[in-house]
Amino acid sequence: MTPAGDSLDSQHLLSESAFAAKLCLPLIRSAQNADGGWGFQAGLQSRVEPTCWAILALRAHESTASSGEIPARGLEFLQKAQLANGSWPAAAEESSGSWVTVLACWVLAADAQAREAVAAGVKWICNDWPHDSATWRRWRARLFSHRNITEQNDSYRGWGWTPHTSSWVEPTSLALILLASTPGDLLPKGAARRRELARCMLYDRMCPGGGWNCGNPMVYGVAGEPLIVPTVWALLALRDEPKRPEFVMSLDWLERNIGNARGAASLALARIGMEAGGRKWPQGATTIAEMYSRNEFLQNIAVASWACLASCPRHEWLTGGVAEFC
Amino acid sequence: MRKPDIALVPSFQRTASRVAIRRAVNYQQDLPAVIYQTLRVFELPVKGKTVLLKPNLVGFDPLCEMNTHPYVIAATRESFLRLGAAQVLIGDGPAMDRDTEAIIESVRLREFAGPLGGIFVDLNLDDVKRVVLSTHASRLNELYLPKTALGVDFLVSMPKLKTHHWAGVTLSLKNMFGIVPGSCYGWPKNVLHWAGIDKSILDINAALRPDFAIVDGIVGMEGNGPIQGTPKPCGVLVLGDDPVAVDATCCRVMGLRPEKVKYLNAAGTLLGHVDAAKIQQLGETVASVRTPFAVLDEFKELREPEGGVWN
Repeated sequence: MTPAGDSLDSQHLLSESAFAAKLCLPLIRSAQNADGGWGFQAGLQSRVEPTCWAILALRAHESTASSGEIPARGLEFLQKAQLANGSWPAAAEESSGSWVTVLACWVLAADAQAREAVAAGVKWICNDWPHDSATWRRWRARLFSHRNITEQNDSYRGWGWTPHTSSWVEPTSLALILLASTPGDLLPKGAARRRELARCMLYDRMCPGGGWNCGNPMVYGVAGEPLIVPTVWALLALRDEPKRPEFVMSLDWLERNIGNARGAASLALARIGMEAGGRKWPQGATTIAEMYSRNEFLQNIAVASWACLASCPRHEWLTGGVAEFC
Repeated sequence: MRKPDIALVPSFQRTASRVAIRRAVNYQQDLPAVIYQTLRVFELPVKGKTVLLKPNLVGFDPLCEMNTHPYVIAATRESFLRLGAAQVLIGDGPAMDRDTEAIIESVRLREFAGPLGGIFVDLNLDDVKRVVLSTHASRLNELYLPKTALGVDFLVSMPKLKTHHWAGVTLSLKNMFGIVPGSCYGWPKNVLHWAGIDKSILDINAALRPDFAIVDGIVGMEGNGPIQGTPKPCGVLVLGDDPVAVDATCCRVMGLRPEKVKYLNAAGTLLGHVDAAKIQQLGETVASVRTPFAVLDEFKELREPEGGVWN
C-alpha cells in the first residue's frame, strides 16, 4: 500500500479526523452492547460484522490499541460467537458460517491468544468453495444453457456471501485481504492456489470501463455499472499490483466518481481506496461530516467505523496490524 | 407479530380480491389525493396501527428509472397517516449495493418524504428472527427475516412496474426479496437464486404476505429489467388488497399473460387470485390502460396473442 504522505490533502484529513474523534468514536463506544458486541445500530442485537468494524475503528484510533477495555470485550464476544467448525455466523441464531468469518479472523489475528481460533477460521474459509464454478456445474451450463447470460470465465473461483453459492466481488476481496496478511503457518495447504484463482476472478469480473459492481460486469451483453463499495474492496485486495492496467483503470474510475458518492459508506471507503492507490483526494469533495448531516449515517455502526478508518493517515488495519499514531 | 392467517388460503375458498387501476400520467400529478382517495375505498384496518411501506429500492438511480418513485412513496406515507395510522415506516433491503443511503439519496427520498430518522429502516441490517418456511416450495427450510417487517401491523409492497430478466416480471411478490437481509445473505441475496427465484418468491410471500400492494406504473421498465431495462411510460398506479391479484392485473396491463409467469401461476393456488373472474376491478379497465411491455426472448411466451385478450 502506498503511504498517504505527500499525496494527501492534510487539512481535509485533519477535519475528517476531528469529526471521527468528536462524533464517530463516541457513537461507536456508546453503542456497545452488554455482551461486548455491536449491532448495526445502537440497541440492536450484537452481530459479528458490526463488531468487527467497530473494533478495527477503535483500535485504529486508540493509542493503547487492543489493550483498551471496549475492544477487549468485543474480542470476547467474537471468540464466543465462533461455531464448532471454525466459522462465524452472520446473525446470532444462525447455525452455519458465512462471509463474516473473514472479518472475525481479520480482527482476531492481532490477538495472540486467538491464534487457534483464527487458524480454524482460515481453514474453514479455504475449504469453502463456491459451487457456481464446480466442474459438474460448468459442464451442465455448457450443455444446457442456450444463452450465455453473464459472459464470465467460470473456471475462476473466489468466495461467496454464503457457503456453496456463487463467487462475488466483495467477499472475495475481503478474503484476499485477509489471506495476504495471514502468517504462512496458519494457511492451509492450497491457500496460494485459492488466492490466485480469486485474483483472476476479480480481474475477470471488472466492469468494462474499470471498477466493479457486485460481480456481474455484463448481463445479457449489457455492461453493468460499477459501484464505489465493491470497487474499493477489490482495489484493496489487488493493491500489490498497482501498475496493472486493470488496477489503474479502476482507480481512475473511482477518482472520477467520488463526486457521485451519495452515501457516507461510499465516501468513506472511497477515501480509503484513493489513499491505497496513492491518489490525491479531490479539492472540494463532499466531506464525511457533511454527509453525516444528511441522514446521520442512518445510525449505521459499520459506516461510522469506516468513517473512522478513513480518517487515519495510514491503514495498518488492512494488514492485521494496529496503528498507534492516529 | 403478524399472523400468517391470510397467507395460505386455497383459491376456491378465498373471497374475491379488489384491485384498483388509477391513471397518473406523470409524477407532477397530485398523487397524495389519488392514493388517499383510492385507499379510502378499501377501508383498510390501519387506524392506530404501524404500517411498513416496502418500496423497490434496487440500486443507485438518480433518474429514478428502476426504483419506486419517491413521490409515490411519500404520497402513500402521507395517505396512511391521514387514514389514522399511528406510524408509517419505510423500509427496504437493497439487493445489489450495501450503501443504502447512497440509493435513497440518489432517488431524493429525503426531499419527498422529509427527514428519514426514525422513519426509514434498512432491512438489510435490522435484527433478524428465524422463520421456518412451511411451504417448502424451494429447498430453503428457513430464512432469517427482519424483525421490523415481521412485527408491523400492516405491510404494503410498493414495487415499480418492471420486467425481469430471470423471473419474467418483478412486481409486488418479487419485491418481497427486499425483506431478506443482506447482512445474512449478502449483496445480492444469492442464496435465493440458488434455491430458485420462482420458488423463493413463493416461500417468502407465504411466510410474510403483504397486506396491500401499490405498484408504481407511472413510468415502468421493459426489456432487460430490473436494472438495465428501458423506461416505459405507462401512466398508472395499481392498488389492491391481494398482491397476487395486483400482480396479475399489472401483467395484463403490460400485455403479458400472468398465468404464464411461473411463480405467479403457482401463487394463484394458495396466495391470491390470478383468475380475472375472481378480481373485482375498480377504477380504470385493463383495456383502457393496456401498454405492451417488451420482454427478453427468454420470456416471449408471456406475451399476449396479437391484439390482446383483455378488452
